[in-house]
Amino acid sequence: MDRAPETAASAPARTGALRHIVSSYRSEIAIALAIVVLELALGIFVPNALTMGNFSDIAQATAPLIIMAIGVLLVVMTGGIDLSVGSVFSLVGMVTGLVMDSGFSSTIATICGLVVGVVFGAINGFLVTFVGLAPFVVTLITYAVAGSLAFIVTNGHSLPINDQGYWLLNGGHIIPGMPNFVLFCIILLIVVEFLLRRVVFGRWIYAVGSSPGAARLLGIPVHLVRFSVYVISGLLAAFASVLTVSYISNAEGTAGAAMMLQAIAAVVIGGASLFGGTGSAIGALLGALMITVIQNGVNLIGVNSFWQGSVTGLVILIAVLIDRVSKARR
Amino acid sequence: MAYFMSLRRLLAAATAVACVAVTAGTLAPAARATDKKMTVAYVAPSLDISYWQWVAYGVQTEAAKLGMNYVGMTSENSPGTQMNNIHTALVRGVNAIVIGPVSSSSTPPVLRLLAQRHVPIAFTGIGPQPGQTDYTSAVTANNYETGKAEGTFVCNLAKALGGNKVGMLSLPQDRENAQKYLKGAKESFAADGCDLVQVLQTHGLTVNEAVQEANDLLTGHPDIKAIYGMYDEAATGAVKALQTRGLIGKIGVATADGSPETIKELRQGEIQGLFLQEAVGQGIDATQQVYNALTGKPVTKDIPLAEPLVTKETIDSPQAQATIKRVYPPSAGAF
Amino acid sequence: MDPTSSGQDSSEGATAFLLNARGITKSFGVTRVLRGMDFAVAAGEVHAFLGGNGAGKSTLLKIVAGILDADGGTLRYKGFDVDDAAGRMARDQSLAVVHQELAVIPHLSIAENIALPRYRHGSSLFNRAAAQRAAVDALSLIDKDFAAQSTDRLVATLSLHERQMMEIARALHSGAEILLLDEPTTNLTGQEAERLFTVLRRLVADARIGVVFVSHRMQEIRQVADVCTIIRDGQSAVHRQPVQSLSDAEIIDMMGQSIAAHDALAAAPAPSGAPSLDLRVSAEALSISGLGPEVAVGPGQILGLAGAPAGPQALIDQLIGEKRRAGIEIIHGGRPRIDRTPHEAVTRGVGFVSGDRANRGILSTLPIIDNMVASRRIAERRRLVRADEAREAAGLLAALRIKARSVWDLPSTLSGGTQQKLIIARWLNLRPQMLVLEEPTRGVDVGTKRDIYTLIRAMAEAGTTIVWWSTEQTELLELCDRILAFAPDGRATALLDRASLDEEALAAATGLAA
Repeated sequence: MDRAPETAASAPARTGALRHIVSSYRSEIAIALAIVVLELALGIFVPNALTMGNFSDIAQATAPLIIMAIGVLLVVMTGGIDLSVGSVFSLVGMVTGLVMDSGFSSTIATICGLVVGVVFGAINGFLVTFVGLAPFVVTLITYAVAGSLAFIVTNGHSLPINDQGYWLLNGGHIIPGMPNFVLFCIILLIVVEFLLRRVVFGRWIYAVGSSPGAARLLGIPVHLVRFSVYVISGLLAAFASVLTVSYISNAEGTAGAAMMLQAIAAVVIGGASLFGGTGSAIGALLGALMITVIQNGVNLIGVNSFWQGSVTGLVILIAVLIDRVSKARR
Repeated sequence: MAYFMSLRRLLAAATAVACVAVTAGTLAPAARATDKKMTVAYVAPSLDISYWQWVAYGVQTEAAKLGMNYVGMTSENSPGTQMNNIHTALVRGVNAIVIGPVSSSSTPPVLRLLAQRHVPIAFTGIGPQPGQTDYTSAVTANNYETGKAEGTFVCNLAKALGGNKVGMLSLPQDRENAQKYLKGAKESFAADGCDLVQVLQTHGLTVNEAVQEANDLLTGHPDIKAIYGMYDEAATGAVKALQTRGLIGKIGVATADGSPETIKELRQGEIQGLFLQEAVGQGIDATQQVYNALTGKPVTKDIPLAEPLVTKETIDSPQAQATIKRVYPPSAGAF
Repeated sequence: MDPTSSGQDSSEGATAFLLNARGITKSFGVTRVLRGMDFAVAAGEVHAFLGGNGAGKSTLLKIVAGILDADGGTLRYKGFDVDDAAGRMARDQSLAVVHQELAVIPHLSIAENIALPRYRHGSSLFNRAAAQRAAVDALSLIDKDFAAQSTDRLVATLSLHERQMMEIARALHSGAEILLLDEPTTNLTGQEAERLFTVLRRLVADARIGVVFVSHRMQEIRQVADVCTIIRDGQSAVHRQPVQSLSDAEIIDMMGQSIAAHDALAAAPAPSGAPSLDLRVSAEALSISGLGPEVAVGPGQILGLAGAPAGPQALIDQLIGEKRRAGIEIIHGGRPRIDRTPHEAVTRGVGFVSGDRANRGILSTLPIIDNMVASRRIAERRRLVRADEAREAAGLLAALRIKARSVWDLPSTLSGGTQQKLIIARWLNLRPQMLVLEEPTRGVDVGTKRDIYTLIRAMAEAGTTIVWWSTEQTELLELCDRILAFAPDGRATALLDRASLDEEALAAATGLAA
């Protein structure tokens, strides 16, 4: 490997930091620009697209996806995959609704829902890490099991939420002027971005995905890292679910069916490699936003829904190509 | 590492044993031998929407009343699985079949097979392919007429609210009932002078998705005055979107089907009209028809059930309450 | 197009070069790696291709192999220009490469790995019997014993050195007219290397093939090569000169990297001498029993492991908590040392530098800074990424004289030898109780070797017990306080003390050529 451009630099610690920040967020910046361009182009056809009301709709629609995608991101970064998030999302909603329906308080119901997510995450983590099964297979199994449990727990009925105050979880304002779903996304973004950049455990996530062999020999607790990311992924899918239940005051057995692929797509659009070792929380957020913006745009323009999948596919292709080009020029 | 390898093997074995135990425990009750009673099989196209489960409830309760055993199956929206289910049912020795077919066009091979075996079959929800005659009975909703009626209702709603523009939240248009609803609705809109500005189709039939679509509909066309919902979740989603925008009562909503949620919303004045589709009733009537065929009593070949309109004012009438009991089972929620 | 007329190289006259590269240029971004490099290989010669780290050697090899495209210059195979279809066809048909990073498919068998590349069309039927015959023929060229084993074994189950043999055998048996061997002997024992040279000489003499041989080992260059080309700063400092006409010093000098010290070993600090500690009672001593000879090493001493991989590998696996082997007992710091995972070993003061840099050393998608401070974070149980880590890493880079643009660059911007220094430096200043090194100088040039020796010595002087496996016996002899020698079957045969260290004793104990 002699293609080393080893030009001399006196203080590589300082000179690189800013350039590093810009270059390490290169694909994120590219996607953000793509979203802006897409939105502006949409505004030419449908002026209403550029109203606060529509932005608020998009934010609300994308919030659960962002939360779920960030969980999936952590798993993908270790070189794994979590196919179970959509089903866990459905199941958690049903459990939360059922517990509330049985007369418990909404706080207890929410906690029960989150526990279900953590339990499924732990099952995934246990089978992948300690039994040593392939992540794809393990989460395919839990995807199927959680999906069927979502019907079993209420015999397939959807459940209306009667607690009048429960919508506050999603739509209330802990900070005046900012609805909670936005607040949660921002907090999560900051926490995970801090975890990945500034906490050693976050660097371990990168290391495990980058080279499991090297990470192991370095003394990184690879098993702990792998197990943890699946638990976090389950927890975040569950949180996305209770937020949605709070929003629509309704729990449905199929609520998360479409979300698993969207979450994985968001992670990939956000610049993470499915082979692990790369990715960022802000990328996953932007990826999720991109998907929602496309759906919103297609609906606003009035494209026949049959075409929606093709348009989404093409735009994802473009996003990935932009990422490719922005990374190739270095 | 040797220590760890053995641990992994141990854990794998333990997990496998646990899985076998759970599976056996789950399957054991279903595997119990059946007695000499007649058996009716209900083959649903899928179980991810409540509608087909409510049909199942109707079949199940009617079968119990008639002293028949009940077997339920689902075709996962696949004609191939549907055919396999029919074969499985025949192998199990069922005497009659009630089916909600995956699609009308998937029915001819099913009918051919059952005619050979002289097993009566009744349709629910979706009827057989036009031209087919080898079936016992078809208990269906008249989607076209309902579409027309709901179209007129929605158009009047819009006019009463000071406009003539309407939007639609549709079932996927690859479904026949969706196409018939749309055809009927379009004819009414044209006749009554309403402008259908946009039709958005769902993919997942979830409320969450319907909320997004309703939001997009309202952003793209702020001047619509009424929303035509084709299924319960569409109406619930539209109500949710209107609520956040403070537009309840300013934009009208009507829908087909009926569920505990939409009936609650009807009572609260968030939905103005509901066209009830008797899911449970279809199951009851279809079961009755195959039972008649088995016992040599006269059968009615085609039973197109009307979808009656209920409003906030009429919902508590005895007539409406009796119809709702033929829509969903008590376990689904209040009537 | 008629390749014989338009593509034919007329300027070379009678001397038909199998491979002829003229004025090759190649840049990565603003960095000009090759600046008009010439390189020609004739039939019937073993051609040593030499150069320091960062000189552009790997880049030229990749261009020759068709992995990279040159920016400028001409490249001809058997007279056909590679810009034409005929030239590319000549390259594909006549060139076989043994890469430094082995190109084997772990999930396929030996037979399949050897035979599969010969199939040009995916639609051909795979002839299993023929594949096995081909595999046995190929392997017999360099090792009859290896060939006698089942060729149905999966390559994943082979050791690094068996994979290397397999890959060489595949190239030797491919019928290629140009063989490109990038450091082929790194994973081989002396005997195997000897057999390889015999086969090469025979193929060169009988089949008139051309062999390009890349190596850092002066001894084997002398042994096998006829002519040499030395690359320096992207140009040929020496082009096609007979190896005999150059002295070792001249060659090292022209490689350009170690002007100050011609002989890395001479420049390396001398061993610390026998410490006055009584090892048996010292609380910090490392003692290993159950292998045969009882081994005891004190803090600051270097224990060399010599011999074919089987024995040293097993001991190393146990030392770093990777795998335990029945019979080996390790007492460290007065207590039995039982680490069940590498994590346990590291947190309890054992550092490790793997010989498999690509798969088990470098974290390729993480910047240099993470690669450098990774061990520190674990050993010091850091929870947060510290702000001063950038300075810490930059300080290490400076101390190692590694020229990186920034600590935030990816390690792939560094040359292989520099990456090696990087992963050793993970443990510098950390003062682990024990540092286990697996062939740390494999595939690096003389200058980098010297740096690595200095690093190792410095860490020993700071009180770390070093356990160092190398297949280069000269470096062990120079730097180690004692050497544990293993026979090829994995038995420990002798523990040689400083007093009794010499090449013959070591050769006798390991069964390998010195």
